[in-house]
Amino acid sequence: MSDEITQQIYSILCENAPKPPGKIDDDTELSSIGLGSLEVVETVFDLEEKFDITIPNPGESDEINTNFRNVGDVVSAVKILIELET
Amino acid sequence: MKRIVITGVGCISALGNKTSEFTDKLFNGVSGIAAVERVKVFKARTKIAAEVKNFDAAEHFTATQISQMDRHSLFAIMATREAVADAGIEFSPSLAERTAISYGTGIGGQNTQDEGYYRLYAEDAKRLHPYPVPKLMPSAAASHISMAFGITGPSLTTTTACASSAHSMGVAMMMLRSGMVDVAITGGAEAPITASSFLAWEGLRVLSKDGCSPFSAKRGGLVLGEGAGTLILETLEHAQQRGAKIYAELAGFGMCSDAHNLVQPLEDGMARAMKLALKDANLAPTDIAYINAHGTGTPQNDPVETAAIRAVFEDHADNLLVSSSKSMHGHILGASSAVEAIATIAAITQQCAPPTMGFIETDPACDLDYVFGQSRPQKIEAALSNSFAFGGLNAVLAFKRFG
Repeated sequence: MSDEITQQIYSILCENAPKPPGKIDDDTELSSIGLGSLEVVETVFDLEEKFDITIPNPGESDEINTNFRNVGDVVSAVKILIELET
Repeated sequence: MKRIVITGVGCISALGNKTSEFTDKLFNGVSGIAAVERVKVFKARTKIAAEVKNFDAAEHFTATQISQMDRHSLFAIMATREAVADAGIEFSPSLAERTAISYGTGIGGQNTQDEGYYRLYAEDAKRLHPYPVPKLMPSAAASHISMAFGITGPSLTTTTACASSAHSMGVAMMMLRSGMVDVAITGGAEAPITASSFLAWEGLRVLSKDGCSPFSAKRGGLVLGEGAGTLILETLEHAQQRGAKIYAELAGFGMCSDAHNLVQPLEDGMARAMKLALKDANLAPTDIAYINAHGTGTPQNDPVETAAIRAVFEDHADNLLVSSSKSMHGHILGASSAVEAIATIAAITQQCAPPTMGFIETDPACDLDYVFGQSRPQKIEAALSNSFAFGGLNAVLAFKRFG
């Protein structure tokens, strides 16, 4: 899965990661690259700005899981939201 | 050590513009949370807050005063007028020198800042009014109290986010204990309901869109409130000399820092602050019957505060009544602790625990008795009021029944 949107999401995650990884993939745990709760909040803001989407709070949406644990969770939520909002 | 007592209270919030309205709604579980009326929230998705209602500044202040004071300072003066009248205290020149002001605010002039930025960035203003600087400074409310009541002793502002007025009361208590002053005007004020504030809190993902449900499963976060609370503290000796009525004793204060995270609470820090307050008050955990919790209704705070209470009180935790009055007056940020101190004192004087409103469903991680839905008569000899601020700044006050 290395389409353009995925790469852009990876890139935003890496920019916000306090422990910048050499490379990440969908299985990378956010905590393993230093993304704690505050950094995730900042990353969510950057993703919303980049893709002009509104990411629901964790637990707010039954359809979209935004209780992000790993990179794949973020990619899948952002892609659904881009689809819904375009 | 000198004993410190509360001899006057004043309060303005979404639960009414004076303390009698506040306590009436508090014990009857009437929430002040409603659709925002006073301000335009622009693109914010949140449309609710706990606003002060039926407040026309022109009924209480001159045009000059209104021009020179941010909304939070107006609230501070309203609450302090009530508290000073309630205490029946007159500040002679000598007493005014022996009186301190220790007042809290988390932000200060948020409304003034918003108005100024709107003029500057949206309206491309060539000039700004000269008053924003003295209106928005966080110490403005303390200065206005000093001028309004002629207080010439030490005046200062504590600003520690959502524990600001807990720290202000703690500092006032230390000044009184030390013998520096005989009387202190303390508490806090906040008026954070603006569009920029809404969007910023939304960005932090802690703002509820549909109500405040502390300690419930599926709670959606906090609801912003506004208002002020003022308490008149005196040394017991001074209060008795002038024959003042005494509501309760401020028996202890505990404060500490997490050294952990800007927004994530830490059980250990909360527990240490409660233990420090108990030790300072010379109280055993089993002496406490009621805790006015920090209880923000965010997913983050409530289970951690629950675990901290369990850690401190062990088996006695199941006997405690714990409630969050924020479920009714909202989160008044830097004024929360002052308003909640007044709620805690009312719980002691009325021997009744105010309820936690907004219950949705049980959260297994929140397993104390939160007095959901209805206030409960209870023998309360001593109570705690918890405040745990962003940035890991913890402050807990211990109150005791007097007499």
